[in-house]
Amino acid sequence: MQIWKDIYSYRELLKTNVKKDIRGKYKGSFLGVLWSFLNPLLQVVVYWIVFPFIMGRAGTADNYLCYLVTGIIPWTFFTSVVNAGTVSMITNAGIIKKVYFPREILLISQALSGIINFFISCIIVVIFCIGTGAGISYHLILLPVIAVIEMILSLGVIFILSALEVYVQDIEYVVSFLLNMGFYAAPILYQMSVLDGAGLLQRIISLNPFTVLIEGYRDIFMYHQWPDFTSLFMVLILSLVILIVGYGIFKTLEKGFAEKL
Amino acid sequence: MENQNAIEVRNMSKYFKIEYDRANTLKDKLLFWNRGNVEVHQVLKNINLNIKKGETVALIGTNGSGKSTLLKLMTKIIFPNDGTIETNGKLTSLLELGAGFHQDFTGRENIYFNASIFGLTRKEIDQRLDKIIEFSELGEFIDNPIRTYSSGMYMRLAFSVAINVDADILLIDEILAVGDQHFQDKCYAKLEELRDSGKTIVIVSHSLGTVKELCHRAIWIYRGELRLDGDPVYVIDEYLKQSAIDHKEEIKKAKQKGIYKSKSIINIDSPRDLSIINNTRESFLLRGWLVTDDEEAKLKVILDGEEVEQIQREPRNDVYDAYLEQFEGYLDADTLGWKAELRVQDLKEGKHILKACCFDRNEKEVTSKEIEFYKE
Repeated sequence: MQIWKDIYSYRELLKTNVKKDIRGKYKGSFLGVLWSFLNPLLQVVVYWIVFPFIMGRAGTADNYLCYLVTGIIPWTFFTSVVNAGTVSMITNAGIIKKVYFPREILLISQALSGIINFFISCIIVVIFCIGTGAGISYHLILLPVIAVIEMILSLGVIFILSALEVYVQDIEYVVSFLLNMGFYAAPILYQMSVLDGAGLLQRIISLNPFTVLIEGYRDIFMYHQWPDFTSLFMVLILSLVILIVGYGIFKTLEKGFAEKL
Repeated sequence: MENQNAIEVRNMSKYFKIEYDRANTLKDKLLFWNRGNVEVHQVLKNINLNIKKGETVALIGTNGSGKSTLLKLMTKIIFPNDGTIETNGKLTSLLELGAGFHQDFTGRENIYFNASIFGLTRKEIDQRLDKIIEFSELGEFIDNPIRTYSSGMYMRLAFSVAINVDADILLIDEILAVGDQHFQDKCYAKLEELRDSGKTIVIVSHSLGTVKELCHRAIWIYRGELRLDGDPVYVIDEYLKQSAIDHKEEIKKAKQKGIYKSKSIINIDSPRDLSIINNTRESFLLRGWLVTDDEEAKLKVILDGEEVEQIQREPRNDVYDAYLEQFEGYLDADTLGWKAELRVQDLKEGKHILKACCFDRNEKEVTSKEIEFYKE
């Protein structure tokens, strides 16, 4: 397959891009890479303080702090990849117009730097699990599996979005709205039990692939049990379908990039 | 594709759609959906071309003739609307220097970024690193962040990376004008070295002198079509002739429309401004030159308010060479200069004013130059 050959021969570009993404982003700032953890962490603190007041004890889980951390950090992984990935053709317009290289490298490196950042953030999640008394267990060996599924899903999504963004720049704004909405469409802040009796809404939210992913993360981090393998497998299939379709769309639209940008 | 060819272009056409008043927003699209003013601009028409392995080829043509577009098509940044372009071998395009540079990283790190865009692996970059740093002449600055670099240093680093990427096919777009004369000579020597080592090189260049010396072959693209292909000396000569004709045509058209303002430059070489003429000499020389693109322009030389009658025209090849490009098609090297020899004794003592001016057909002064000199 051409794509594997391309990725292999441009592996150094992939590496330097990941390096630039992770190190370059915060270069010059005082706290450096720490910011990529600090941001979701501060977000966690805000929700932890505010939410119990609004929702009352009913909506929030036991050990709510740990519950939040295990939800928000995986979600941040997805949003950061999608946000940066969607505009990556535009931000790299300069080199796309002037140099030939496989364009998908830009997106793959975006997804890779996302997952690496996420793995580093997982150290913080583990610290919280221990610190709040939830503890850790051997179930964590499944962490890479769930993370890879999430990466495949986000890569598929940015293949589609970044290609469309070149032609229709409204995508960027739609995406930022959808991501905001998506935050509430998965049990990140609340428990699924809140939605008991909500009918259609409950049905939609339980079908959300992120519900599966985030509950999976919580199972292995917090509840020390195996996640629901069937649902995870379904999400994997869905992610692969999105990835393949997305790659097809990307490859078709790619030819006009240099002229449209 | 034949094996001896590095690049094959077959029946290739490329056009761009230019949309005037492009309906960009949804509101515009809904309101003006059938009013899109789309103009198709044909950039390249039915190009057929073989470039053999090991050839060094120059693409020449005026701005907008489509030569850079052809280069971009060869790079596979853009794609043809009709026909095909095939390449054989590892291809590197130097359309832009410093692609992928990141301001906050050191020169050394940026060598890796930049070279990786050209498809080099870490091992390959490691092998070239010393050569690149040496070529760039950056010395110890290589470990400083490139935001601290001067623009010359930046370009030198970028060019050093680009030129040291060993590709089979090298596409270069007008980037030889980097740095000072010393560095340019070095780049030029490097290109000759690459040429002699059997690489295929395609250059877009306006510096025709370079083309003549460096290239085996020149291809002239004229208004999107392949006009001439062959030995550089001949092709360039034909190209210059055509440019002269076009230039003249253009001005003629502009003149007909009445929007053209003709250009004239006049100069007095001798005597110098504020100079003193001694009585010891018998005669002195008035000398100067006039370049103009107005065919009906007349030259008048006035000394102290009276026209000098003895003006003769003389050849001035130095002036011709200097203004060749700017006044393409209008200059005649044999009549550019003017001179007149006057006897010193005819001149009164004291201050004199010499004025050379150029009049158009309406006896209007277009340009003039005035100097003063003294006789003792």
